[in-house]
Amino acid sequence: MNLIKFEDFSFKYDQAQDFVLKDIKLNIESGKFILLCGITGSGKTSLVRAMNGLIPQFYHGEIKGDVFVKGKNTKNVPTSTLSRDVGLVFQNPENQLIAMNVEREIAFGPENIGIPWDEMDSRIKECIKITDIEHLRKKAPFEISGGEQQRVAIASILALQPEIIIFDEPTSLLDPKSAIQILNLLKKILLEKKISTIIVIEHRLDIVLPLADEVILIDKGRIIEHGEAHYVINGEKFLNSGVNIPKCVSVFQKLMNQNIFIGKLPISIEETKNLINSIK
Amino acid sequence: MEKKLENLQILVNHLTYHYPDGTIALKGINLNIYSGEIVGIMGKNGAGKSTLIKTFNGLLKPTTGVVYIENDDVNNVLMSKLTRIVGIVFQNPDLQLFANTVEDEIRFSLKNLNFTKTELENQINLTLEKFKLKKFQNRTPFTLSGGEKKRLAIASIMCRNPKIIVFDEPTIGQDAEGVEFIRNLIKEKHSEGKTIIIVTHDIEFAIDNIPRTILMADGLIIADGPTNKILSQDQILNIGSLISPQLIQLSKFLIDSGFKVPDNAYLKENMIQFLGSFLKEKMEITEGGKP
Amino acid sequence: MSFEFMEAFKFIQKKTIIHSLDPRTKLLLATIYSILAIMFEEIFILFFIFLSFFPFIIAGQLFKKWIKSIRGMTFLFLLLIIFNTLFSTFSKSISMILRIMIMVSSFSLFFLTVHPDDLMLSLLSLKVPYNIAFSFSLSFRFVPTIAIEAQNIIDAQKSRGYEMEQGGLISQAKNLIPLLIPLIVCSMKRAFHIAESLDSRAFGSTKNRTYYYSISFTKKDWLLTVILIAFFIFGIIVKLFPDLLPNWLFWRFPV
Repeated sequence: MNLIKFEDFSFKYDQAQDFVLKDIKLNIESGKFILLCGITGSGKTSLVRAMNGLIPQFYHGEIKGDVFVKGKNTKNVPTSTLSRDVGLVFQNPENQLIAMNVEREIAFGPENIGIPWDEMDSRIKECIKITDIEHLRKKAPFEISGGEQQRVAIASILALQPEIIIFDEPTSLLDPKSAIQILNLLKKILLEKKISTIIVIEHRLDIVLPLADEVILIDKGRIIEHGEAHYVINGEKFLNSGVNIPKCVSVFQKLMNQNIFIGKLPISIEETKNLINSIK
Repeated sequence: MEKKLENLQILVNHLTYHYPDGTIALKGINLNIYSGEIVGIMGKNGAGKSTLIKTFNGLLKPTTGVVYIENDDVNNVLMSKLTRIVGIVFQNPDLQLFANTVEDEIRFSLKNLNFTKTELENQINLTLEKFKLKKFQNRTPFTLSGGEKKRLAIASIMCRNPKIIVFDEPTIGQDAEGVEFIRNLIKEKHSEGKTIIIVTHDIEFAIDNIPRTILMADGLIIADGPTNKILSQDQILNIGSLISPQLIQLSKFLIDSGFKVPDNAYLKENMIQFLGSFLKEKMEITEGGKP
Repeated sequence: MSFEFMEAFKFIQKKTIIHSLDPRTKLLLATIYSILAIMFEEIFILFFIFLSFFPFIIAGQLFKKWIKSIRGMTFLFLLLIIFNTLFSTFSKSISMILRIMIMVSSFSLFFLTVHPDDLMLSLLSLKVPYNIAFSFSLSFRFVPTIAIEAQNIIDAQKSRGYEMEQGGLISQAKNLIPLLIPLIVCSMKRAFHIAESLDSRAFGSTKNRTYYYSISFTKKDWLLTVILIAFFIFGIIVKLFPDLLPNWLFWRFPV
């Protein structure tokens, strides 16, 4: 089923010279962990803003085409309503934690849509459990670490029970281990079917690629590649796109260029190990 | 440059730092950094990395212990002198950009350096050209793109020509081109004999570009050594909340599988060479066959 | 005013009888003490009012923070003594200091013990519209964040040779520009991000908002309210009929 559908969508911010999104045709299906990548300024953030109506409602500008979220046109349905279908978690948790303790933070979304107390309470308990933050329940946002803040941000979006959650560089401010833990948490949420689709913008491809089912590659406001992770990673367009290519991919890419290696490029260390085992 | 006493540029002895609110950020740091070194500082957020570098240019004064920068005790030197020797490039350019034009932004950094008028204009021009900002000279810094702002913020420290350059998380959120820019800048400054200190979480960047790494945890230095050694010991990785870079993981796997892997296979070129010769060998054995 | 002074107004979670009081009771407490402080100028009376406030500070385990806030105002007190003594009397300056101490203490007790989110709930119960009450609590939430950001800006500018200059008022004001502009730019960016994230969390999507927490007036609150009102009425009576009190309460410094 199509959760989000872009129909020849283009967008130009007010006062900007150029269109930041150009002729976007895109179907986001359920059950996927989707990586959205592209270099700085390629339009990643704008693309996700268009997925929950922030574009064109919060950010005004010139629009062509349409975006539908579960059949609702994002031009006509307010972001606050679309937020029940699409959750957005931003890069800096500092700016999205608005309450003075974790429990109240998670309650904020359900309160806004008028959920009765009993259901709210059970949702809060569940979200705290999934994200493993029981010990932080009464803490203030500035008393906890960056990784913990990001967990709270995730829990507070989960409490709205959207079908899709989009993460805009959720780990860029974290240390490597916390980053992996956060990404694994996302995968777990997806596998346990708490969420039907996850879209992640991430610069550290080395840690996110092993989890991705699909990759969307965006460049200069256009989607230049979209498909199964291996398919995209093996393509010329990806290898020349200027994103940070993981070392295991680029090592085998070089070997391929030297005609020493033929086959599918491994996208993770695990795959690299398997590849070597199969050759040995 | 050699690690000789006369090249010792930063000497930290029994340094502690207590914030006014009572937080103890540094609990006894001992550290030597020599002229011309490239040193990485890693560790979890809150381990004391930022506090440590802020004692180098006088932003924070030691609570106890000493920090010597070029033979001067930081307690006895004016901050204006320290910031000339130690330039810190902070991660977020928005914290410092304020001037009407890009040119004025550079001029502000050169304000108290006793340049003559011609020298000043020369230095501004040189800096703008070097950092490819000349075409923005008269534009307001606020209309620049993220990458351009970052370049300007770096330029506004580099124009002061510090002997010791500290980068705070230079590669956060950068694509390949941005990382390449930082890499080249570090190479260039290193070849000019500068000392470079890089606070970072970026293990892949560190393994390629930083020979020596200091790992901090809970206000202490818990490891100090070659980056490839630091990033291959599980215990250290755990304390620092780090993971091994991909090619260290791969080297370990290859060694465990019985291969004779060279020590330096954690660098991409060496790994390519090693795997290349292995694959070639395989091809020759299965001559004509599929690899 | 230093950030240390602001510390006296930053909520800290504790379990004391004062913390467990309804915010409205504490607002009444702060208001009544402030009105009394303004009503009187007799040193001894103010001093007794001040003393009567002490049990609240002790019960709330706020002594350390309170001392900090008073210390943070030393400079202000010095100025008050100098100017009031020059233009009026030494006694006036002492009573002015006592007044300010009472008002600052009572409001600092309020902010130190009322959870900012409860503050919002008490505003709501006073029929303040949700949007206004929410933005009020939001600004409290972001005080420490912006204080940290301000410190980072100072650090970044100092690192490129910026110096806090001495000199005339105009040159000092001019000298603040390198700090103020980044602070404004960063705060505006932050405000945008917060707004974006509020929208993404269904903020304002329905008029029938529900609340996870609620505040309620308990027996303790009623008891304290009655005592406070009695205290207040007593204060008014004393003000109207000063003859009821012994003369020494009206003593002043000879200068």
